[in-house]
Amino acid sequence: MGIVQRKDLSLAERLYLPEVVRGLSITFRKMFEKPMTRQYPEEPLPKTEVTRGQPRLVVKDDGNVACVSCGMCEAACPAYAITIDGGETERPIEREPVRFEIDMLRCILCGFCEEACPKDAIFMSDELELADSSRGALVYDLEMLKRPKAALQKRIDYVYRLNQRWRKSSSTS
Amino acid sequence: MTTTTKVFEYTPGANLPPGDDPLHGELMTLNMGPQHPATHGVLRIVVTLDGERIVAIDPVVGYLHRGKEKSCETLGWHKFFPHTDRLDYVQPLMNNIGYALAIEKLAGIEVPPRAQVVRVLLMELSRVMAHLIYVASQSIDLGAVALFFYAFRQRELAYDIVDAYTGHRMNNTYVRIGGVYADVDEQVSAMAARFVEEFPLALDEFEKLLTRNRIWCDRNRDIGVIPRELAIAMSLTGPALRGSGVEWDLRRAMPYSGYESYDFDVPVGSVGDCYDRYLVRMQEMRESIKIVRQALERLQTVKGDVLAEDRRFVLPPKDKVHGSMEELIFQFKVVTDLRLPRGEAYHGIESSKGELGFFIASDGTAKPLRCHVRAPGLMNIQALPRMAEGRLFSDMVSLIGSMDFVMGEVDR
Ligand code: SF4
Ligand code: SF4
Repeated sequence: MGIVQRKDLSLAERLYLPEVVRGLSITFRKMFEKPMTRQYPEEPLPKTEVTRGQPRLVVKDDGNVACVSCGMCEAACPAYAITIDGGETERPIEREPVRFEIDMLRCILCGFCEEACPKDAIFMSDELELADSSRGALVYDLEMLKRPKAALQKRIDYVYRLNQRWRKSSSTS
Repeated sequence: MTTTTKVFEYTPGANLPPGDDPLHGELMTLNMGPQHPATHGVLRIVVTLDGERIVAIDPVVGYLHRGKEKSCETLGWHKFFPHTDRLDYVQPLMNNIGYALAIEKLAGIEVPPRAQVVRVLLMELSRVMAHLIYVASQSIDLGAVALFFYAFRQRELAYDIVDAYTGHRMNNTYVRIGGVYADVDEQVSAMAARFVEEFPLALDEFEKLLTRNRIWCDRNRDIGVIPRELAIAMSLTGPALRGSGVEWDLRRAMPYSGYESYDFDVPVGSVGDCYDRYLVRMQEMRESIKIVRQALERLQTVKGDVLAEDRRFVLPPKDKVHGSMEELIFQFKVVTDLRLPRGEAYHGIESSKGELGFFIASDGTAKPLRCHVRAPGLMNIQALPRMAEGRLFSDMVSLIGSMDFVMGEVDR
């Protein structure tokens, strides 16, 4: 335990004027420091693989979405932003989403959908800007969410790197 | 610790000076807030004035009530994490950790050592960020505008670290049951190391501008004195309690996340006024930096996973999910049906505002029975009427600022 020291002010400090000069010297020096302000729209934010922007759906190299509409992301979403209707498909995976909507106004960019997806179909992109003139336009549908796998590759690699844990097998498998 | 509690008589206006004030005797009721820049969010204070003197104040909370505790019951254990971010929104990671600790206590999960070090690092960075908001807002409320910018500049650097680590500046949601989502990599620890080197210098500068500044002293010294007994009786915690000279810090008193093995001091005040609370917070930032430095050192040596291997509560690694049916089932179970054992648990952590506690009760199903947040700010607001009584109206701003509450947490 340490008791914080409080000393009485000296005469010079109580007179205040010398203190004004001392204070101004600090503010004066600050003028020559490098400004930290980012001129945002002109100067874009730094984007790395860590950046958690809006979730996007992965389109595999064969042109199909990787999603099998299992509904895990829907179940994991704390903001109830995702709506999925599944349908059948001729492809061997048998199911694909007919409707896949993310309400970007509800989405809080938490990344739970990315974590929950067992098919590597949804990942957080580095797209952050979100503006439109109507609410309806910000409910993104399947077409607007699709991104080629290459565009998300950095993030996919990053997530896999994070998942390098528990290298022992589970007791049951 | 044995304490004697005293019942305090509360007679509005009892300690007013006899009036030479021409307005004396005619009471006026004034509404301060809920939309007032100095009330730090949406706090409404009904002030009864006798001239310039405060006769009584009545803080009205609840303007930011969003039903967070109820949300937990409908969302489930895991999905409540993003909501904890939004309690005390200046230190989201700290809230995440407090909630995770309560769950881990109930479920009996052992958090890996490296995750504990990362958590300590995050908690102390959060404390610095939250205290910086305090200095910034207190100084701009009392007229020192330049310091507001200097403090926010430093806070920005701390946010950059958090941004590089979590990918978000605020509302990070990066703590999981059983650890943290990601490990702290080289780049982030280098940023933190640089911050640890540079920040104390900035802190010296703040102190140069404020600590012995005549105006700052006049507006903080002997204002809002909370005597030791009153502080305990009002169940204040955090810097508000320590400013009154009570050495009570949960990091020391009931250590969690390995705090017992870190070397730091608990600063306490001697008078219990706004100035003491300011000094305590300034010193706490220095102590936090000390802890961050130690945590960074430990990150070099303590290796391993940052998530506990417990498939009941933690998602299995992604690549395993593709290859193994069992892991896929675990994945489904954790996402859709995360159950805690039947029972209840409470865990309090020393947040920047005081004891932030989470009480959770589970009936063994995936639906939480109850989640209660013990918000330190709510208790700290309760001391306001006792502090304000008989003071000048202009002192209100110092008092509100020095109690340092965030309404998101108070109203929940
Ligand atoms: S969790 Fe993945 S595979 Fe399942 S519905 Fe969501 S995006 Fe599709
Ligand atoms: S990022 Fe979070 S809120 Fe947004 S869609 Fe995914 S789970 Fe829902």
